[in-house]
Amino acid sequence: MTKDNSEKTIVSRRDFMASSAVAVGGLFVAFNISPTMNRLMAAEAPAAPKMVYAPNAFIHIAPDNSITMVINKLEMGQGVNTSMAQLIAEELECDWTTIKSVSAPVNAVYNHTQYGTQMTGGSSALNSSWDQHRKIGAGMREMLKSAAAAKWGIPVAEVRAENGYVYSAKGKLSYGEVADDANKLPLPENPPLKNAKDFKIIGKNLKRIDALEKANGKAIYGMDVRIPGMVYACVARSNIDGGEIASYDEKAARAVSGVVDVVKFSDNKIAVLAKNTYAAKTGRDALNVKFKSNANDNASTEQWMKDFKELANKDGIVAEDKGSAKAEYNNSKTKFTAEYEFPFLAHSAMEPLNCTVDYNGKTAELWSGHQMPTVDRDTAAKVLGLKPENVNVHTTYAGGSFGRRASKNSDYVVQACELAKVYKKPLKMVMTREDDTHAGYYRPMTYHKVNIGLDDKNHLQAWDHHIVGYTVMGQSFFGDLMIKGGLESAVTEGVTESPYTFKNFRVEQTIPKSSVKTLWYRSVGHTHTAYVMETMIDELAHKSKTDPFTYRQNLLAGKPRQLAVLAQLKKMTGWGTKKAPHGRAWGLAIHQAFNSVIGQVAEVSIIDGLPHVHQVWCVAHCGQVVNPDVAKTQLEGGIVFGITSVLQQEITIKDGLVQQGNFKEMPVVRMYNAPVVHVEFVPSTDTPTGLGEPGVPPIAPAIANAVFQLTQKRLRVLPFSKGMKVV
Amino acid sequence: MNIKINGKIVPITSSGDTPLLWVIRDELNLTGTKFGCGQAQCGACTVHIEGSPTRSCSYPVKFLGTKEVTTIEGMDDKITHAIQKAWVDNQVPQCGYCQIGNVMTVKALLEDTKKPTDKDIDNAMGGHICRCGTYQRIKAAIHQAASSLA
Repeated sequence: MTKDNSEKTIVSRRDFMASSAVAVGGLFVAFNISPTMNRLMAAEAPAAPKMVYAPNAFIHIAPDNSITMVINKLEMGQGVNTSMAQLIAEELECDWTTIKSVSAPVNAVYNHTQYGTQMTGGSSALNSSWDQHRKIGAGMREMLKSAAAAKWGIPVAEVRAENGYVYSAKGKLSYGEVADDANKLPLPENPPLKNAKDFKIIGKNLKRIDALEKANGKAIYGMDVRIPGMVYACVARSNIDGGEIASYDEKAARAVSGVVDVVKFSDNKIAVLAKNTYAAKTGRDALNVKFKSNANDNASTEQWMKDFKELANKDGIVAEDKGSAKAEYNNSKTKFTAEYEFPFLAHSAMEPLNCTVDYNGKTAELWSGHQMPTVDRDTAAKVLGLKPENVNVHTTYAGGSFGRRASKNSDYVVQACELAKVYKKPLKMVMTREDDTHAGYYRPMTYHKVNIGLDDKNHLQAWDHHIVGYTVMGQSFFGDLMIKGGLESAVTEGVTESPYTFKNFRVEQTIPKSSVKTLWYRSVGHTHTAYVMETMIDELAHKSKTDPFTYRQNLLAGKPRQLAVLAQLKKMTGWGTKKAPHGRAWGLAIHQAFNSVIGQVAEVSIIDGLPHVHQVWCVAHCGQVVNPDVAKTQLEGGIVFGITSVLQQEITIKDGLVQQGNFKEMPVVRMYNAPVVHVEFVPSTDTPTGLGEPGVPPIAPAIANAVFQLTQKRLRVLPFSKGMKVV
Repeated sequence: MNIKINGKIVPITSSGDTPLLWVIRDELNLTGTKFGCGQAQCGACTVHIEGSPTRSCSYPVKFLGTKEVTTIEGMDDKITHAIQKAWVDNQVPQCGYCQIGNVMTVKALLEDTKKPTDKDIDNAMGGHICRCGTYQRIKAAIHQAASSLA
């Protein structure tokens, strides 16, 4: 740790008044925070200072020895309220059965260790908290031991901590009995951490802390928050951003039973407030808002895809250039071009977006499933004209996100706050399913053009690749920070820095200006790049008459994680010795995302003209697995999510209007067309790497490669419902 | 208007056209029942009306008459507890938002079918969407709950 005292984080009773204090789930947690911790985004931030974290910002031990873990990540289904608690509990030597988890308020002490802001994303929760959270647990354990030693008047070396108690020759004390004293002690600088072989909690299939309350209805989501005097608000706005309101029928809205007020709160947004959500929605619809014509009136995804294709024929920005791909392509004996089309996709989390605001002119309270609570707080403060410290953010459970709640502009929080600023009374802004779908922030539409040159033995000679697609991070301050020299890695990741050994390999990128808001979507650029790479690799294997496993292994020499995954997957499936049942075929794909490597084999048939996935074998290399069963659920779920995103779903825009609204226009995989998924992990004690997202990318190409076995057709237009019809 | 819900008769003020879902959630503050789509496409809002699983988002409250509504808050019986235990044991919930609707349908399934097959389960659960993709664990949990009740 640093010798600079300003970066020390020590809590003592004397410091109490000067320290930060926050109320967490009914607890009052106090701790000191160094001002140097208050950094902005990592891209612009200096190297992270070494920090000591006040353990009691993360751990609250009650007198009855029950323990509350304060979780600084959003629980949106990925299991952080359990797995993050496991990291601390492993070192704390506490009784796991006494633990509960609550979501952290906004405070710099809860910042992401790499990004300098409080956030959940990039499949980084366990990776970025691995050292921090174990040290927090170990620090608290050592403080508890020291407090007990002082009480007993013996050296700390004679004290041992186990299962929520400290023991010595003098007897036994519960953590709860010494916690107050422990919190007054200075933090140990380098508490010893366990070796993996001694883990008792990490690597174990502990049950999710939130499972029961999510099965009995007691879990509280943003949608469930009720505050006194609150009304419900639905907002009318133009279909894609920009339309100014021309006319509306306020009388009709007010005539709806239960409607309380109609508030126009910007040039293009008007809300109906009511005693219940249905009245607000009915009133909003009764407004019959007409919008002035604007530049987006003729917006059309069909036209945009045509534009993309033309742009791909022009020069883009070079993202990677190995060997001499263009020249070698021209010299190749056989040349072919593959063009891939990917649509916009909506995240469609089960809980439609909503935000509850209590604003009184001086302070504000916000409730939602906040994925980027610092950004949400600061943006809300700006909208409301308040100082950030006067905005209190409460993070509830989130009914899914898939990237949508990490809104780079805090769009739905802004919408609720803009309304609250005018209305000045407690309200919950609720989006209907259709509002949620129409609100934008889609996975960007993207087009790939790949020129492949083969030599006289049909082996790869040149790979010349151009990606045309809308921005992920642009249109926001993230874009200003993350897009360098026009290059946006989130558009090309998964094609660039490929683990495959290519001699002549070139990647160009073109990002046209978009009038639609776009955003990361579970696994971001990998949602399309893995598809192109893994279907093309399969195609090249086929053309060179090489087994797809062998072909990949040959190109992945020197990549131990990839080779380990392939070897285990081959063993798991019996590839090469066993075959798919009659009428079905197996397809293989492997992809690295968020530093994890995932291989999948999909068993597929064609039913009613669409691929049907019967089962999937999945092997993951993601370092130390913290909770194997919860980790498996991320891969099982990622696979189902990935199938939905390529089977029939797309967001299309015609005459400036989004054509889809509810699930019937965006079919989702249901139980009857969900596969059985078998998951294995490559054993490892490396620092954990991502798992929330990396399960998604390989499934689509694995399916497409199986479809080729069945139909001899390469699907290049997504979703499959369209691609299957391309002659 | 009065409605019978979870064993009690309660007065409500919402208009008769209001879907039962919003009466339950916004007026009676029983928030275990979820809003997912508003068009009976996702199953998140499933409650029991006279024991039958029903999409409350598309059921105007005026059609209830004397029929009794049961929400998750009113479920306190052997079958429901077996389902909830199986949900925990099989690590079913991820985000959890759709799970209450699933539990309500499973409760009705297990009342009718003591030992459902995979096919029975697929047929019963086809109206439910889970974006986290917990389907295979839901299926495993249904089998466990059925066995534990046998």
